[in-house]
Amino acid sequence: MSGAPIAVLERVPLFAELDESELERVANVFKERRFPAGETVIQQGSGAAAFFVIDSGEATVVVDGVEQRTLKAGDYFGEMALIDAGTRTATVTASSDLVCAGVTFWDFQPLVEENGTIGWKLLQTLIEIYRSERQRPPASE
Amino acid sequence: MSEVVALADARESALFGSKAVGLGQALRDGLPVPPGVALGGAVVDAVAGGDERAIQQVAESVRSLRGPLAVRSSAVDEDGADASFAGQHVTLLNVRGPDELTSALSEVWWSANSDSAITYRQRVGLFTRPSVGVVVQTLVDPQAAGVMFTLNPLTGEDERVIEASLGLGEAVVSGRVIPDHYRVGRDGEVLERTAGRKDVAFRSLPQGGVIEEAIAPDLVERLCLDDDQLAELSSLAERCETVYGPSRDIEWAIADGTLYLLQCRAVTRAGV
Repeated sequence: MSGAPIAVLERVPLFAELDESELERVANVFKERRFPAGETVIQQGSGAAAFFVIDSGEATVVVDGVEQRTLKAGDYFGEMALIDAGTRTATVTASSDLVCAGVTFWDFQPLVEENGTIGWKLLQTLIEIYRSERQRPPASE
Repeated sequence: MSEVVALADARESALFGSKAVGLGQALRDGLPVPPGVALGGAVVDAVAGGDERAIQQVAESVRSLRGPLAVRSSAVDEDGADASFAGQHVTLLNVRGPDELTSALSEVWWSANSDSAITYRQRVGLFTRPSVGVVVQTLVDPQAAGVMFTLNPLTGEDERVIEASLGLGEAVVSGRVIPDHYRVGRDGEVLERTAGRKDVAFRSLPQGGVIEEAIAPDLVERLCLDDDQLAELSSLAERCETVYGPSRDIEWAIADGTLYLLQCRAVTRAGV
């Protein structure tokens, strides 16, 4: 397997404004990565290197020691790593043998730098996410 | 310049990484290095990305290597003066067949692009895209293996310090056993022999991969090197210093009575 399924990338909010040819360019920089069952895929608090789309298998998401949900084929995680290589906010562990397509910060950055349209659309999407976060009422006690 | 060359022809650190070039230099100087192939960062990147042409090119390049393979990372800035990627970039042993080789190269590529490798890069100020060269070599199946310092790394004494265990050297490198400990003077005199506690050994499996197996009780605390082997190791240390310069950190293995050099690099931690 090389590349990532476009149908999955279409559902990633960060890529919401990209058209099909732009999504295809993003999909082409993905590489396959396999994790055996039980392996930690990403660790909460660790630096973040890559965004992953699950091709097959399952993984569990844990935040602050509490299990949140199970990820399956077609799910994705870690997309914010593509923008700032910041800190992971959850731990993801392979609960079965897991095959993912992943793209690193370093492979995504030149793609955006070379394609102003993609960069501009990503900025617009990020602003939309920012606005909707600001407008969300504070969580009740 | 080709991105796929015989290990003896690996000369460009910026292309193949310091490990490949160091081993290439060793081969050119007649040191006993297992035969191998050096792969440049771009071809490893292409293989990890599923490029069929690159996969084919690599598969053909290793056809002349006999038996199972060892696949070791040789990142371009690996083992530099200010940073060591030991523990970040993986080594895969007992890789068999073209499909396993492709998977192994992908795994090496991802190990250099993992969260932990990125965190380490940020910490040491090397926040740039990693270029991951790879060394593919014939895997030796050793009776004993380990590490050797050509100068005592703790005291600075002008003597060889050798740590040895049974089976593959990963038992010593990973700290899985307490290895036998030897000190040998430059004149070849054995100054110390201390048996370790070698409970386990790593061995190659016929179907690929490596297994950790228990050692027979009577061998656990029995020295695994004799004086002739220590003399041979001391001689290898001298040859390595002639080729590379003083104060070297060497990985070695003894298989079927032959001593092999697996890696030689500058000691990265200064003595006290």
